Amino acid sequence: MGKRSRTAVQPTNIALLQNLIRKDPQSYIEEFRLQQQHYLSLKTIFFQNPRTPTGHEEFAELVGFITQMCSCFPKETVEFPNEICQLLTENYDGLNADVAEKLVHSIQMLRNKDIISNEIYLNTLFPVLVSTESKQLRTQVYVSIIQMVKSVNEGAKNQKVNRMLQALLFNLLEDAESNGLWATKITRELWRRGIWDDGRTVEIMSQAALHPDTKIASSGIRFFLGGDKEREDTLAEDSDDELDLAAIQHKMKVNKKSNRRKAQFDIAARTVKKKRGVGKDQTHLNFSAIHLLHDPQGFAEKLFSKHLQNNQKSVARLTLAQKIDCLNLVSRLVGTHKLTVLGLYSYFLKFLTPKQSDVTQFMAACAQSSHDLVPPDVLQPVIRKIADEFVSEGVAAEVAAAGINTIREIVARAPLSIEEPLLHDLIAYKGSKSKPVVTAARGLIQLFRTVDPSMLPAKERGKTATIALRAGETQQAKYGEEKVGSIEGIELLRQWKESNPDAELDEDKNWEVDSDMSDVSDEGWIEVGSDNEIEISDSDDENDESKNKKNAESNTDSMDTTETDQKPSIEATEILTPADFAKLDELKAEYGIRKAMNQSNEEIIDALNLTGVPKYKQNKEERLQHVKEGRTDREFGSHKRHHMEKPHSTTNKQKARKKNFVMMIHKREVQGKARKSLRDKQRLLRAHSERQKKKK
Amino acid sequence: MSSKITTAGVREEVRKVLAHSNEKKRNFLETIELQVGLKNYDPQRDKRFSGTIKLPAVPRPNMTICVFGDAVDCDRAKGAGVDSMSVEDLKKLNKNKKLIKKLAKKYNAFVASEALIKQIPRLLGPGLSKAGKFPTPVSHNEDLVTKINDVKSTIRFQLKKVLCLAVSIGHVEMEEDQIVQHIMLASNFLVSLLKKHWQNVGSLVIKSSMGPAFRVY
Repeated sequence: MGKRSRTAVQPTNIALLQNLIRKDPQSYIEEFRLQQQHYLSLKTIFFQNPRTPTGHEEFAELVGFITQMCSCFPKETVEFPNEICQLLTENYDGLNADVAEKLVHSIQMLRNKDIISNEIYLNTLFPVLVSTESKQLRTQVYVSIIQMVKSVNEGAKNQKVNRMLQALLFNLLEDAESNGLWATKITRELWRRGIWDDGRTVEIMSQAALHPDTKIASSGIRFFLGGDKEREDTLAEDSDDELDLAAIQHKMKVNKKSNRRKAQFDIAARTVKKKRGVGKDQTHLNFSAIHLLHDPQGFAEKLFSKHLQNNQKSVARLTLAQKIDCLNLVSRLVGTHKLTVLGLYSYFLKFLTPKQSDVTQFMAACAQSSHDLVPPDVLQPVIRKIADEFVSEGVAAEVAAAGINTIREIVARAPLSIEEPLLHDLIAYKGSKSKPVVTAARGLIQLFRTVDPSMLPAKERGKTATIALRAGETQQAKYGEEKVGSIEGIELLRQWKESNPDAELDEDKNWEVDSDMSDVSDEGWIEVGSDNEIEISDSDDENDESKNKKNAESNTDSMDTTETDQKPSIEATEILTPADFAKLDELKAEYGIRKAMNQSNEEIIDALNLTGVPKYKQNKEERLQHVKEGRTDREFGSHKRHHMEKPHSTTNKQKARKKNFVMMIHKREVQGKARKSLRDKQRLLRAHSERQKKKK
Repeated sequence: MSSKITTAGVREEVRKVLAHSNEKKRNFLETIELQVGLKNYDPQRDKRFSGTIKLPAVPRPNMTICVFGDAVDCDRAKGAGVDSMSVEDLKKLNKNKKLIKKLAKKYNAFVASEALIKQIPRLLGPGLSKAGKFPTPVSHNEDLVTKINDVKSTIRFQLKKVLCLAVSIGHVEMEEDQIVQHIMLASNFLVSLLKKHWQNVGSLVIKSSMGPAFRVY
């Protein structure tokens, strides 16, 4: 390279040297050696006495320089990464803040360039994170680690690094003295970003939840309660960014075209595509933390005995809020996985009084923890207690409503746990004067109409339930019995198919329609079903025969094999098409078959809903808000207003306002103002002030 | 891979499965299994589903069943040639987790008489429900043998931690038509459980215990 630039390099001008070396490493090797010597001498000083008062800036600058040069002179800088790692690990708290920051930064950079392996990186920075006293350093290291895990897991997951960090976190939690809060913090952050989503991650948090330190324990517990919501929110936020693309595209059209803009657009398009690709991953797993637990039964039992039961005095006590969180988690575990933690229910008894603070939270937890495998004799005392404490004539309306609502929630999950007399007592509250109580009691009636109408007094059963009861269709489920499912409304579909057989003869267009995820169309695909006996026994139309001919060979052998004692139904003999399912949904809606899904005991009960919503008269603002909400997507109305709300270019009005006055001064519309008669002026002024008033 | 599923197609695949198992006879009765891969399914937003359905015939005749019964039911079980345990036997387990786990492993399903079943969680703890083998109740009015057959022919779809599931729907000695019928019933029922029906189904595969898998959807 040129001699001129060489002479220009001052030994102190590191930035320039760096730039030059980048371009041509070999020519500048002497200068680099010089700087390296300088670095080495400073390094020995720092190793001997980290608290040296002078030379921080120079040293930091040199470290930065050599870090940058590592890729240019790999042979000369073999020792360098180890040296700075050692310097940092040995005395991170002794070092000057700037130097420490520079070291961390250098290590991060070296890892990005693949000069330091992930293992060394983690082994150097992780101890710093958990034991340094400097807040600044801690934040820097934390951000750096999260960033590293994120970048490593882009595309395919890097299980090696994940395993290693997880092992470090496990060790951190096992050691009672160390700062385990970092384990929960890192795990939670990585979970929130959707980088870690496997069972091991959840295992770390379950270990944290059982930690003797209450802070760590409650942070672990809160993770299970709110971590998934957080993750959902972040992922939703990310997907909002996609709108940018349209704006950039528009700008491309309007503005001058340049290579830079084009490159910007390309980058944006690529990122959007990448993001969409990830989101659309069809097998992407999105299980909540509670579902991924390895041993929910053991976890729930340990949580309950460790944090809630008071048999161990040594364990630090949780505050009421933490206790409620813990109870909430245990009850959610029990409900979701249908666990048996029988001690839990008697534990609730103590707290279920109206005077207990935050009692609705306890009630919600109580309802969450009930499911159909809890023995009825365990739940009965709980219900009895709620009824005695909350539902009586003397108490306030919300209290009674909360009581009845809680009982309804419990019974919805475990229908056998209430006795008939108590139920009748509770139902009698539908005549109460207060609205929330009436609603609650009606809710209970409604529930039992579907669950078990025989428990209700005859006049409350309602028409459909009474008919079903008389026909013997509804039976009280026995304890431990699992409902054998069938496709709901299949009978309706069969009848419909018999009455309009033509609809079935359409050709099979809709597999393609179906596979590209559009809405299910209304036509069915070809019916290839080997026929069923029902159609033949009451066959009244020729269509059957025509179909029979088509599938003659498959018919013949299936007809004699279908046994006589079982009635073959439509679902056994043909595959229901997407169109069939659409029709089924339609028919079900028509005949008012409610989807009696197995009462999901995974739903979270909101404590606020238990008391019922008190109804106040709305004030004017609220009413107007309602009106406005109704107006949002109506198709009629002023187009102009809609237009003005969108982003738009300058309007003529705005332009006129901004126009230079000198250009306007000769115009008649301006000069005419001065020449107006007094009467006209008055008239205009009055009209203007009227308008102003109306505007307000 | 076909983008639609037809009865004829299923029948063909079943024939292949049966042919394979006939080629090389095994020393045991091979079970035919329906494996389902789901797609576009968000386990957090859509509810986790579970459902049971009763098939017209018993898919696995060799299932072992144990009856927890009072004196009457124990006698009936003995008459039917089924293993049985009385309350005393259960109490002997003494809530020992290992023994209960062993018991749960030993049998495929359990039946308990109505008088007893409410005590099961107290007597045995969480062991049985953990294994997904909580007993089915039987009352004195019901015939024990038919009940046991019911239990044997009931299959359960349950989504665990992964987006695929498998159920046994028959065995290789069964008639081809019976197997086809079972596949139809099972797949129709499963699809009806899913929110977006067929759009949620990634693949349907049938295979016998030792044979290769054949894709039907």
